[in-house]
Amino acid sequence: MRLEQLNYLFFGVLAAGVIGVTAWSGSPVWYLNLILLCLFGGISYAIRSWHDRAFYLVCAGEPLIVACGAINLWVGVFVVWMVAGIVCNAMCMLEFSGGIKLFVLFCGIAAIVAILIQVSNHVLLPLLILAAGTGAILAVQVIRDHQFIKQFGASP
Amino acid sequence: MRRCAQGLSLVIIVLASCAYILDDMALLLAAGTLLAALLGQYLLFDYRFRCIVTSVAVQRSLERSQVRKGTTLRVATTVTLTVPPTMHAQITERLSPQVFIQDGDTTLSVEPYLNPSTCQFRYRITPVVHGKMRFSGITLSVQNTFFSHAIDLLADPFSGPDLLIQPVGLFEPYGKRSTTESREVEKLKVVSGFGIRALREYYAGDDLRRIDWKLSAKHNKLYVREYTGMISLPPLLIIDLPWRTEPCSDADLDRMASAVAGQAEHAIRSYQYVSLLIISGANILFFSSEEKDLQRCMSVLREWMHPVERVVHQYHSRDRADIREDVRHLETIIMQGGEPGCIAFSGTLRKQYISMIMHMQTPAFTGQIARTLSSVAIDECYLFSLGCGDESHIRQIIRQAKIAKIVIHIRLPGALAALVDSADRIYRTADTVEAFA
Repeated sequence: MRLEQLNYLFFGVLAAGVIGVTAWSGSPVWYLNLILLCLFGGISYAIRSWHDRAFYLVCAGEPLIVACGAINLWVGVFVVWMVAGIVCNAMCMLEFSGGIKLFVLFCGIAAIVAILIQVSNHVLLPLLILAAGTGAILAVQVIRDHQFIKQFGASP
Repeated sequence: MRRCAQGLSLVIIVLASCAYILDDMALLLAAGTLLAALLGQYLLFDYRFRCIVTSVAVQRSLERSQVRKGTTLRVATTVTLTVPPTMHAQITERLSPQVFIQDGDTTLSVEPYLNPSTCQFRYRITPVVHGKMRFSGITLSVQNTFFSHAIDLLADPFSGPDLLIQPVGLFEPYGKRSTTESREVEKLKVVSGFGIRALREYYAGDDLRRIDWKLSAKHNKLYVREYTGMISLPPLLIIDLPWRTEPCSDADLDRMASAVAGQAEHAIRSYQYVSLLIISGANILFFSSEEKDLQRCMSVLREWMHPVERVVHQYHSRDRADIREDVRHLETIIMQGGEPGCIAFSGTLRKQYISMIMHMQTPAFTGQIARTLSSVAIDECYLFSLGCGDESHIRQIIRQAKIAKIVIHIRLPGALAALVDSADRIYRTADTVEAFA
């Protein structure tokens, strides 16, 4: 499947999901989701030929994730998946099987983050867990980097 | 971290701060997933970066393993590496400050089109500090959309070989000494001269009297002097006579005749004989090998020193080496890119030149000169010419002399010699271009 067709597929599913959920929820600010969806679609179309469009797609998708997450956390997760699909497609990650596996892995991690948030009553605890996890990963990376440089970068 | 990743980090901090202040789960979801995505990208980049580094293989070859300070040396480095898709790599050769890069590329970009990719650096260096120099390795820079990272690869597989740079005598006076029958040359000969042509490390068996004690004390290593050789071969005098129908100055011709006579007399008095070659354009008129009689030599000069008729003409034909140089220059223009019209013109010109080279035949004069030069024992020759009209035969003589490792001195009329510059295609390869007195 060509990348452009895959892009349309992701965006089609995203649009259908957002419109459906907005209609089902009966939110008083229903128009906000539609405006943000149109904004995301417009930006995605306008920058389709840009080399570094992944960054702008992420920035355009975040308001839609927040708006849909405010209706229902799992709707937010659904939007995250779709936006991630479009971004991965823009980065040509879905061209090879390794990239598809990474996309699926990210979807799983997003779901775990959502579960963590759902089981918490307040923001503080999951925020601390996320920060601690990030810190731990970065600390491990620093040590690995040091060992790596010692192995290849050290002059004899 | 590149600007994209920095921007996303800022977005994550803003979202997380807003989530904390407003206690909003949707904002936290956005921040958390974005953080996970960015971390994932970082880990993926790091994994690929390590794969690239482990795939790097460096092979470096030097023209020579030891050179004298100031000598230009050609280096070829072949780097093989595997660059995954969506990544870009740049390799830079790390060179010691002991050397000066003369020409060539020391930085190359590698795109992930061919895996494994092989790229080659070709450059020339001139060592400016003596001692042992090791090629320290390469710097590898890798980047994708979000991250970039560079590492200096200095370990054993990426570094080496060693280059030994021998010192040269800095305070040696310029110019070669000469005695009545011999003169110094920059070559090893059985008879040593007085000048120092090189300094090198001491090897077992070297004459202890040749050790340079000052230099050895300075570097804590024994260095010996290599003296110049002495040679007693007279020069070959080539006299290029003007064409009869070509306008030339009589005064210049007289000056050239007296300069040739003076040089011939000096050669016979110093070395007991002289060889004379009289030409006019691409016509060899007279050759006298090892003439010992000064009177006979002078009578030959009196007989020939006037404008003559030329049977063979070269019509300003270009040298094959010059055309090859032009082809290389045009290829550089095409590779560098630029205006389409300019590239198309260069391409057409290149094709024409290549076709010229393919159909070019070696002139008979070139062969005659090569045979003449090989038949006499000489190590230098003087070419006297008025430099008027077609000069293509002079280029051929210089080239044949260079091939035979003969030092060639060109002597021209004063006004013409002053106009000759280092970019002159005919005379630039000659060892000296001076006016005849």
